[in-house]
Amino acid sequence: MSFEELDHTADYLFRCRGRSPEELFSESARAMFSIMFENNDATGDACVTKEIEVESDSLSNLLIDFLSELLFVAEVDCLVLSGVKPKITGNTLKAEVTGEPFVLEKHGGGTEIKGISRSGVEIEEISEDDGIYYQAEIIFDV
Amino acid sequence: MIDKINKISDVEWELKEGFMPNMSVPARIYISELLAQTLEEGAVTQLANVATLPGILKYSLAMPDVHWGYGFPIGGVAGFDADTGIISPGGVGFDINCGVRLITTPVKASSNEMPKIKRLITELFHTVPTGVGTHAEKKLNEKELDDIMNEGAGWMVNNGYGTPRDLIRCEDNGCMKGADTAFVSKKAIARGIPQCGTLGSGNHFLEVQKTAEIMDEEAAAKFGVEKDNLCIMIHCGSRGLGHQVCTDHLKEIEAATKKYGINIPDNQLACAPIKSDEGKAYFGAMAACANYAWANRQMITHMVREVFCKIYGTEYDELRLVYDVCHNVAKFEEYEIDGRRKTVCVHRKGATRSFGPNSPDLPSDLVSVGQPVLIPGSMGTASYLLKGTAAAMEKTFGSTCHGSGRVFSRTKAKEGMSGQEIKEDLEKRGIFVKATSNKVIAEEAPDAYKSSSEVVRVVHEAGISLKVARFEPLGVIKG
Repeated sequence: MSFEELDHTADYLFRCRGRSPEELFSESARAMFSIMFENNDATGDACVTKEIEVESDSLSNLLIDFLSELLFVAEVDCLVLSGVKPKITGNTLKAEVTGEPFVLEKHGGGTEIKGISRSGVEIEEISEDDGIYYQAEIIFDV
Repeated sequence: MIDKINKISDVEWELKEGFMPNMSVPARIYISELLAQTLEEGAVTQLANVATLPGILKYSLAMPDVHWGYGFPIGGVAGFDADTGIISPGGVGFDINCGVRLITTPVKASSNEMPKIKRLITELFHTVPTGVGTHAEKKLNEKELDDIMNEGAGWMVNNGYGTPRDLIRCEDNGCMKGADTAFVSKKAIARGIPQCGTLGSGNHFLEVQKTAEIMDEEAAAKFGVEKDNLCIMIHCGSRGLGHQVCTDHLKEIEAATKKYGINIPDNQLACAPIKSDEGKAYFGAMAACANYAWANRQMITHMVREVFCKIYGTEYDELRLVYDVCHNVAKFEEYEIDGRRKTVCVHRKGATRSFGPNSPDLPSDLVSVGQPVLIPGSMGTASYLLKGTAAAMEKTFGSTCHGSGRVFSRTKAKEGMSGQEIKEDLEKRGIFVKATSNKVIAEEAPDAYKSSSEVVRVVHEAGISLKVARFEPLGVIKG
């Protein structure tokens, strides 16, 4: 679906949307990686796949914990992640994540994210003419 | 915004206790009318919110570079009673012990310094790992990381990455007491292992500067700063280790806030009693990260010395540390409050310690002068060296500003000049910038920040730190 950057003085604020919670989660991940790299397309030969699993006490906390986990994987393994396909069952998420090792010349530097703001993230269900959207506003602390 | 606030002087304003329900102390803002034009309502609300927290003493304080942050405003200072007060990760920030150090060199800047500065910056850029997706050259093992979290900059010096003199020129000698690595998660350790000796990105930088002006000859001589000499400034923190510790403990502390029945006006102010298990756990982990940050800046200093000596032919120990200060930290310090000595848990979030003459923790040769205070400018603007004062000890829990503070968002910054244009513009003005991308340069556009000169003028006028010297940038590395 989409993500859009909103105005925030000190940090990054994004409004992310999806047709399903899963799509909202993968869009939020795309938003995060758009901050970290100039070009987050990781479709080269060096692609690696990882499995992640996150459990939380609510869907909005699951979104925060999911993004924190991706941030952890990207930072520790120096990976640019492009494809994230999450599957959500209740408050548990499993995802297959694909990416490739960071190469400055290819991906370009962006801004490191220190953390995902733990408050203010609420997942809203919005009805519009063409159906239901899941939407969340997320602050990335940089 | 400022019309709702009571004026005390041209640079000091007060929010009375009734400004917001449940404030137990007033709030004070050190700011000029000029800087107040960009004062955000959100930052003022956050400042008043802090005044409602249990055990807060005297005032909730804001420095002139205040802006909207996470829970506490950035540029916020608050002291809590060590017996009855709270500790809050939102009052420290994600980047624990983000800080600055200044190194002087014996080299005088010539009128045609640029070709050499370009060489120096280019070599430093390739030596000091910078920006996203980079790891340090020295890979630590878990035991080494644990030792670093306990020993701070001292570990680096003991292992050959510095001189013993460096340590006495660091706040707390580069090692905070009370670190407890048992409260640092496996994830935080995994992030910390590859990053000790890396600069990071965003507002972090490594800058080559020239001492452009000396305002206080006596203090400058004591601090070892001479006019026209090249200096190096390093601004970075505890990297992924600190970020992860903040993330982990915020979760625990949020639960603790409910458990201890603490009423907070904003969830971002999650806090726990200082003496609770959760509060002690956060403090122990935070101190471990603070120590790691000092070690990180020490390792970068070592790399800077090696590169600088190679290019300028100087000796390793001719590059001398002026001082190293933290910007994001909570610490136990003693203050006189209503005629009684009290231990206070001082939270500085985007604020610098500014200890006056005869304060504890000053190196013996600086006891009569006060602590060196370092205020970095934004990319392309002046940085300052100040000295701590007795007025800061009385009014602001020994604290002053930390930098210039953003005025507008990165989104807005990117709508202005492109990164390439900014780079060319700065080069025309004699400042060579090297960054991992033009995107980073555009986001860090000098106009996106408050004027460091005006911020420093306010703290000088308020007497909470006094100007010693001004530095102009010649070369900048941005992550």
